[in-house]
Amino acid sequence: MSSLRAAIIVLLATVLAVPAAFAQGAPGANRPYRIYAITFRGMTDVEKGFTDYFTSRRIPVQITFRDLNRDASRMAGFLEEIRQTKPDLIYTWGTSVTLGVVGPYDKVDPSRHITDIPVVFTMVAAPVLAKIVPDLASSRRNLTGVYNVASTEAQMRAMASYRPFKTMGMIYTPTEQNSVVVLDEIRQLSRKMGFNVVAKPFKLDASKKVTNEGAADMVREMTQQNVEWLYLPPDSYLNTQTKNLIIPAAMESSLPTFASTEGLMDTGALMGLVARYHSIGQFTAYKAEQILVHRMAASRIPVETLTRFSLQVRMDVAEALKLPPPLPMFNYAELLTPGPAPAAAVIPTKAK
Amino acid sequence: MGTIRFRFIMVALVVSFFAIGMAAFLNYFKYKSTISNIVKSRVLLVGQGIEGSVQASLQLGMQFAELSQLPQLLQRERQSDRLIRGIDVFDTNGQILYSTDRARVGQKASDSWLDAAQHAKAIEWATEEPDEFVAGLSVKNAFNLTVGYLALRYSREDVERATGVAGREILLAALGAFAVIAVLAPIALILVIRRFERDLSTLDAAASHLEDRAQPQPVTEGSGFEAAISSLRGSLSEANKSLDDLRARLDAAG
Amino acid sequence: MLEKQYLWRIYWRLAGVIMMSVVLALAVVSYFSHRVFERELVPETEQKAATVGNSVRALLLKATSFGVPFESLYGVDQTFKGVIEENKEFDYAALTDATGKVLFKYGKEPAGASDFFRRPEVLATLQGERPPWKGFRNGGQYFVSLPVASDKPLGILHVAIAPEFVNNVLLEVLLDVVVVLVVSLFFTLELLNFMAGARLASGLGEFAHQVERMRTGDFTATARMRANDEIGRLLRRIDAAVDHINVRYEFLVGELEDKLRKASGARREALKPAVAALESIKSRFRFGSAAKEGDGDEMNLNRIRAPLFAFILAEEMTRSYLPTYVNNLLVPIPGLSPQVVIGLPIMLFMLIVALGQPYLGGWSERIGRRKAMLIGAAVATIGFAGTAVAFNLYDLLLWRSLCAVGYAMVFVAAQGYVLDRTGQANRAQGFALFIGAIMVATVCGPSIGGILADNLGYRASFGVSAIISLLSIFAIARLPGAEVRTAVSQRPARGPRMREIVALVLNRRFMTLTGLAAMPAKMILTGVCFYLVPLYIVSIGNTTAMAGRMLMVYAVMMVVIVPLAANLSDASMRRDRYVSMGLILSGLSGMLLLLSESFLVVFGVVFLLGLGQSMSIAAQSALVSEHCKEEIRVYGHDAVYGVYRLLERLGNALGPLLASLLVVVWGYQGAFVAISGVVLVCGLLFTIATRGQEPVPEPVSP
Repeated sequence: MSSLRAAIIVLLATVLAVPAAFAQGAPGANRPYRIYAITFRGMTDVEKGFTDYFTSRRIPVQITFRDLNRDASRMAGFLEEIRQTKPDLIYTWGTSVTLGVVGPYDKVDPSRHITDIPVVFTMVAAPVLAKIVPDLASSRRNLTGVYNVASTEAQMRAMASYRPFKTMGMIYTPTEQNSVVVLDEIRQLSRKMGFNVVAKPFKLDASKKVTNEGAADMVREMTQQNVEWLYLPPDSYLNTQTKNLIIPAAMESSLPTFASTEGLMDTGALMGLVARYHSIGQFTAYKAEQILVHRMAASRIPVETLTRFSLQVRMDVAEALKLPPPLPMFNYAELLTPGPAPAAAVIPTKAK
Repeated sequence: MGTIRFRFIMVALVVSFFAIGMAAFLNYFKYKSTISNIVKSRVLLVGQGIEGSVQASLQLGMQFAELSQLPQLLQRERQSDRLIRGIDVFDTNGQILYSTDRARVGQKASDSWLDAAQHAKAIEWATEEPDEFVAGLSVKNAFNLTVGYLALRYSREDVERATGVAGREILLAALGAFAVIAVLAPIALILVIRRFERDLSTLDAAASHLEDRAQPQPVTEGSGFEAAISSLRGSLSEANKSLDDLRARLDAAG
Repeated sequence: MLEKQYLWRIYWRLAGVIMMSVVLALAVVSYFSHRVFERELVPETEQKAATVGNSVRALLLKATSFGVPFESLYGVDQTFKGVIEENKEFDYAALTDATGKVLFKYGKEPAGASDFFRRPEVLATLQGERPPWKGFRNGGQYFVSLPVASDKPLGILHVAIAPEFVNNVLLEVLLDVVVVLVVSLFFTLELLNFMAGARLASGLGEFAHQVERMRTGDFTATARMRANDEIGRLLRRIDAAVDHINVRYEFLVGELEDKLRKASGARREALKPAVAALESIKSRFRFGSAAKEGDGDEMNLNRIRAPLFAFILAEEMTRSYLPTYVNNLLVPIPGLSPQVVIGLPIMLFMLIVALGQPYLGGWSERIGRRKAMLIGAAVATIGFAGTAVAFNLYDLLLWRSLCAVGYAMVFVAAQGYVLDRTGQANRAQGFALFIGAIMVATVCGPSIGGILADNLGYRASFGVSAIISLLSIFAIARLPGAEVRTAVSQRPARGPRMREIVALVLNRRFMTLTGLAAMPAKMILTGVCFYLVPLYIVSIGNTTAMAGRMLMVYAVMMVVIVPLAANLSDASMRRDRYVSMGLILSGLSGMLLLLSESFLVVFGVVFLLGLGQSMSIAAQSALVSEHCKEEIRVYGHDAVYGVYRLLERLGNALGPLLASLLVVVWGYQGAFVAISGVVLVCGLLFTIATRGQEPVPEPVSP
């Protein structure tokens, strides 16, 4: 019975394989897949993860890297090159590059945007908010991708696992929609998880521009309002203010800080839940593999993020705050130290 | 011994044999599963330590196939528990990438391993080889894609020796219990059956004197049979009386 | 009947003694097992505690290596909590400093622990040549203590082994032991019947029969073989008495005839009174040889019980784990959800039994009941063996179909066997015996099957079923081969015709009873007991043995309640009210899952379901003849009952299908609730539809 089925499967496979073998120039065994990659600010670990994945899976690829270098005017040239070389897949890094190649879903201009070549985007913090996709489950367009921020709930839980809290503080830019959305989410979560939120927006000057004026005082006030954690949302303006202003003020008030992005973590926060760039790159390559090798339609591949984020703890900050990480965290957190790693502990070896 | 008594005792023995057998069976298998679980979880604990290190390396962007420190770690962990015979790490195709036995590197892991690992519902999996047990963990990357498997081989002999000892003792206890029952149950049964047998023997005695013309001795009270016996007796004596009558008339006729 | 009651009194007393011996034996086995468990498990558990402790120690040292002072570590209790929650063998963990002062702890502190931590021999583990770990015993408490030291001694980590851990392991077995006890009780009663009872009962029956015959003056001698036991001896004595009186009669008659032949005139006159006496004797008594009776059937009737029980047991044993087994063999079938696929083998089984039964009746009559049963049991044995080694779902379906065909054959042929050997008078008794064997099998089967599957695995358990089925073949082979026909069974059995099915399905009165009561009752039975319970119990992390226990609760309810309800429904209340109540109770059962998802609630479900089913089951079929007099007049009794049974059995097949579809949509709990909801609605509709009618109750006919 089973051998009969096997025979049928073999037969079917033969029938399907014949036309494929005759189709000349199809990528695969003889010709590598051609990928056209556009980065935003030069090569990062994401690209390394991306290429490493293909190497480890022994998938032959030929990747053409182009860098926008934060200059939107270069985009037109890249699009022209894409139209001429007709690659098998396009890789886009970040929100601006992605929007430059495919356009927002409600304003696609076929004469300018690429629609006939599958696109895989990466390092987009909020693809729905940026109007790249209408829905994470399906883009309904010839693209898919990976976003790089852990869910707000996962971040709240990570914070609570370090030290439980009743009140959390947050500083954000009122003109950045991204931060406003995150604040809404946090307010919803606070009801579910049972904590208070003290949110303070940066002040706007006379010309409605964001200023850092009084920001340090806002942090100091928080300690009087029983704030136990300062949450740093994915906020571009905040990113420029943490290193010199916000985090020093928090340290002064013995207020631990939680970073929502790797960038904020780098400016000296106590802890953060961040997506490793290398893993993001690998995941992006995995999605590309599904399109190139497994011939899945990009629109049918959901837009996702990592299932495992890296929990980072800055040990010198922990020591300064006298807030050592809880013991279980030593098992799974990435412990960052300013100096060289400490010597291995002496563990009595087992005789038995 | 009466055959009825014998049959009842046989019933008691068969049922006791079933019950004791099942109880011994249950205890033995409970013991076996408990001890295998204790040992397996102990081995897996070692595995979790290794998996944590592999995970940390993957997070740092190292490739699963390029974990240069892993062989030393495997060697160290194997020595930490005498039960563990070897540790292998293989990829999703079954190719062994790292092992405490250098000779195994590059070989294919057994198909049953790959099968057990792929079909496990959790990240933990287990399988058996003729001479060793295997417990393992799936290694998943940051986007929940399985990149490979960790397998810890541990001595079957050790586990089975412990099970064998317990099995023998449980078997002995069961045989002992059965022996006790084989002695006690018949005695207890005989006490109960005696009443029944007495009923039967009075019945028998009564039946053997059915044709006696003498005044019948009373049948044991409460056996439930006295009515039947006196009815029998009555029917017989009535028939006999009629035949007597016939005899008398025949005689009278000369 | 006097002698029956007398026998049962003896049976119960014997069963009591046997049960007491069994309990004693189980206690002995458990006691020794406990000793072995404690002696062998504790060292292994200590080893494990050492491994767990070792990884905690590594973590502690890692933290201190980052400069966290030993005393101001944070979240040590969280690590302990994880350890204790993941390993049920441990119930307490503590970290002390080098002087034995407790710094961190988690769990229930054992008595005297703080003193123990300060004992010199405990603190000594930290000094000099430090052992990796050391096991201590403090009262009844086992501790594993590990020294923690970097370049200097820091403290000691203690893991306590829960003292009740070994007891808990044995307690888990205890439930199964109770199941074994219940099953043993049923086995005992069944065996008393098989090994001693059947002969005893027929012997005593024969005795009563003989008494009755003689009371009416029948002294004809029966040339019967008597069993070689006490009762046989008794009967032989009676036979001897009868023989004697016969000889005496023959002699007297001979003498009289002789005299009459020789006599003449006056002599003849003198013999007149003797002739008159003989005439009177002849009118009151009968002598000579008895006409050969087709008797001894009661004995043969009883003999069907053993093979039937064994055969049904083989099938029942698989009930508690079959769906889970299928789940393991699952191959995805495109377009069908896995839940539905799991239900397929059960559905197919029920469907084959439903459709096969009406037509197998005639077949078994043609080729002979015994032969039909032999073939059926052989087919089923092949089916069980095949299921045990099934390659995947496809061949499993084939093997299960064989089991179903075999089941239907044996069931129908055994039914025919009983039918052949019973008259109008003892028909009910014959069926009680038939149903009794099946009931006991449903009590013993699923629970024992669940235990076996749990410990031996599914395939081996199917192997056991195959062996039991094989054994039943030998038991069937010992049945009398001669075919017997009574007046009732002379009528050839036939399956219902299409015309009758269509006419009855369109008949409102008939369908009220069949569609609203009989079919839903069967649907919830197979849907819940054969599909949902086994799968749900395993899905919430319980064992197949637990599923078996659940099914046993159901079966025990049936055994206990059905006879009660049957007696009551004849006496006190209208039968349709019993059916209504039964349906509504069944319909409420699944609603319990709304309260909680615990497996304890499932006990409530099967309890209510058993109660509901057993209340309605006896009344239901009697209602057909009560409510559908008109239809029976038109189509005949056989056709109406034939269609009724067919539809009822189709309900059996629909159960798993419906349940599986509901699981796809709403999950297990939703399916429990929904299927009960359907039955509840049917029950209410049935109550409304039968409201007001007050049919005259008729005697139950089987």
